[in-house]
Amino acid sequence: MAKPTVGIFGLTGCAGDQLVILNCEDQLLDLIALVDIRDFLMASSQNCGAGPLDLALVEGAVLTKRDEEDLKTIRSRAKTLIAIGTCAVWGGVAAMDRGCDRASLLREVYGEMGAEYDSMPTKALRELVTVDVSIAGCPIETDQFVSAIAGLLNGDLPVYPEYPVCTECRMRENNCLLMEQGQLCCGPVTAAGCKARCPGLRVACVGCRGPARDENSASLLASFEERGFDRQRIAARLRTFAPTGVTA
Amino acid sequence: MNTVVIEPLARVEGHGGITVEMEGDAVKNVRFDVLEGARLLEPLVRGKRYDELAPILSRICSICSVAHTLTSLKATENALGIRVSPQTELLRELLFRGESIESHALHLILLALPDYLGYPSATALAADKPDAVTLGLRLKKMGNRILETVGGRAVHPVNAVPGGFGRVPSAEQLIELRASLIEAVADAETMIDLIASLPAADFCHCETLYAALRSPHADSYYAGDEVMLVANGNQASVPAADYRLFSGETAVRHSHAKHSTFRGRPFMVGALARLTVNPWRLTGRLAAAMKRLNLVLPAGNPMDNNKAQALELQSDVSRALEMIEQLLRDGIKDERPVPSQPHAGTGTAITEAPRGLLVHSYAFDHEGRVVSADVITPTAMNAASMEVHFRAAVEQCADRGEATISQRLQMVARAYDPCISCSVHLVRR
Repeated sequence: MAKPTVGIFGLTGCAGDQLVILNCEDQLLDLIALVDIRDFLMASSQNCGAGPLDLALVEGAVLTKRDEEDLKTIRSRAKTLIAIGTCAVWGGVAAMDRGCDRASLLREVYGEMGAEYDSMPTKALRELVTVDVSIAGCPIETDQFVSAIAGLLNGDLPVYPEYPVCTECRMRENNCLLMEQGQLCCGPVTAAGCKARCPGLRVACVGCRGPARDENSASLLASFEERGFDRQRIAARLRTFAPTGVTA
Repeated sequence: MNTVVIEPLARVEGHGGITVEMEGDAVKNVRFDVLEGARLLEPLVRGKRYDELAPILSRICSICSVAHTLTSLKATENALGIRVSPQTELLRELLFRGESIESHALHLILLALPDYLGYPSATALAADKPDAVTLGLRLKKMGNRILETVGGRAVHPVNAVPGGFGRVPSAEQLIELRASLIEAVADAETMIDLIASLPAADFCHCETLYAALRSPHADSYYAGDEVMLVANGNQASVPAADYRLFSGETAVRHSHAKHSTFRGRPFMVGALARLTVNPWRLTGRLAAAMKRLNLVLPAGNPMDNNKAQALELQSDVSRALEMIEQLLRDGIKDERPVPSQPHAGTGTAITEAPRGLLVHSYAFDHEGRVVSADVITPTAMNAASMEVHFRAAVEQCADRGEATISQRLQMVARAYDPCISCSVHLVRR
């Protein structure tokens, strides 16, 4: 049987999710042996650029017309399109541009030439195309990535926890940074999967994995407010990594 | 007019290209094109609190995320007058070593080596030369182990915060790291042999100005505050606060890119520049390895940056070991971050990211909110110098046909180890 065809692509971002793939040092050569990699610009100078793909992994957000065209081409080639990383899933830090006048920011950074640049307001992938699977994280977690690929190669869609980082944090019996130390920790509203890495190191969660699905925002906002954080600051913090996922 | 366009440039971080315009065998224009979207992070962090800044600006680039995080913290601490402990300084230096080991191993084996041996990728190479690829992956993993143990994560470290670390690694963790570093010493030696065995690549030699952090007492990537520029026996020194002297961005006629120059001259940053500026690092085993690599400084050949990275891999592994020994000898303490009081101030920090000098410079208001943020990355600094070497490469093989020109241009670009996500400051298209 022919090996499944795979493309790995980066739109605008930091390439951190592709780096996580390359960081699977122990599994990398075995994983690659299972598939037929057709496109992986960051790691190969031989890329197809066309033809059908069983799996397309796309990292980064859409910030240019070129990104948008590339994404649409990838979508038309791919049976299954997988958004990898918070930029692809939620827009990421570049999407802090929501509500800003990009034209004037461009002018400020690049001068009058800024007006000529291929540049558009940041969009997450699902705002432009159908996304079949989303693996969030800034960057994605190695174990979630490897198990997702292993499952997809067997035709199984990965399932991720809907509960927040807070649940994982309690399972690790960490001291609560929000309630006990009054730190603005986003653990209660952020998607689990990182094993509460930051609170485990006594560092407040910054929400880099995007919102948890079962968040009970109203009551959580109340508990943040109880701890003395005003609504504006909480909203700004939650919008840093996942601006497209926060309506508060 | 004949135009050679390489786009997209493969096996580099980010989206870039090279354009060369020729008239017969004469080179008219050379351009390093940056096609990465502008994320505008510098204006977008305005109004953020000082303790939110490093995790956001780390996202400028994954392969340099430790350097961005720690340079951001150093600039923030400089602005707010926070003095970190010697233990914190040592752990931060150790993190820089981890990132340098990971980044150099990735670059040498996965990005650069396939060109020398005629393969499109390291995975294709692995079919014929599995030992070379697994050697690179083992060293890469070693670097990542340091980042995970000290920084809490391999990409975008989370444990380094203003004033210190969330949780200092335990002695047990450092002892485990030491054990794997001792094993890595032999791998770093093997890497020197591998790079020394590659066919010579010298096709764009020209006199080059090199710039790096000067570290008189130890080879430091983090603690220095003075940049040295060296060329042809002459040198100039610039304190960190005056970074605009060498990163002053000049518009250039042949491209929309703003370029960094020092007194009108392009300069090169990175491993080769660090060794050229700090030759006292090159003693003992490093000097012996340099002979094996047939590397003579100053080199003038940007391809020698690959050799310099192999040398740094060796010295980074042994320096990391020394640092761990020192931390264990001094007794690692569970220090909490130095507390900070927000107030108005400005601060600049300059460090050595794996691919060269990195500057972060901030101003804060009285509540510790960002008023302005300025980030100058190594690839932005290298862009002008890359174009000089692109031009030299084409001029030296203009009669050899487009395939040779294209291949050599790509090799020069990769030797600079560009990180294009980092360089968006010079996007134009």
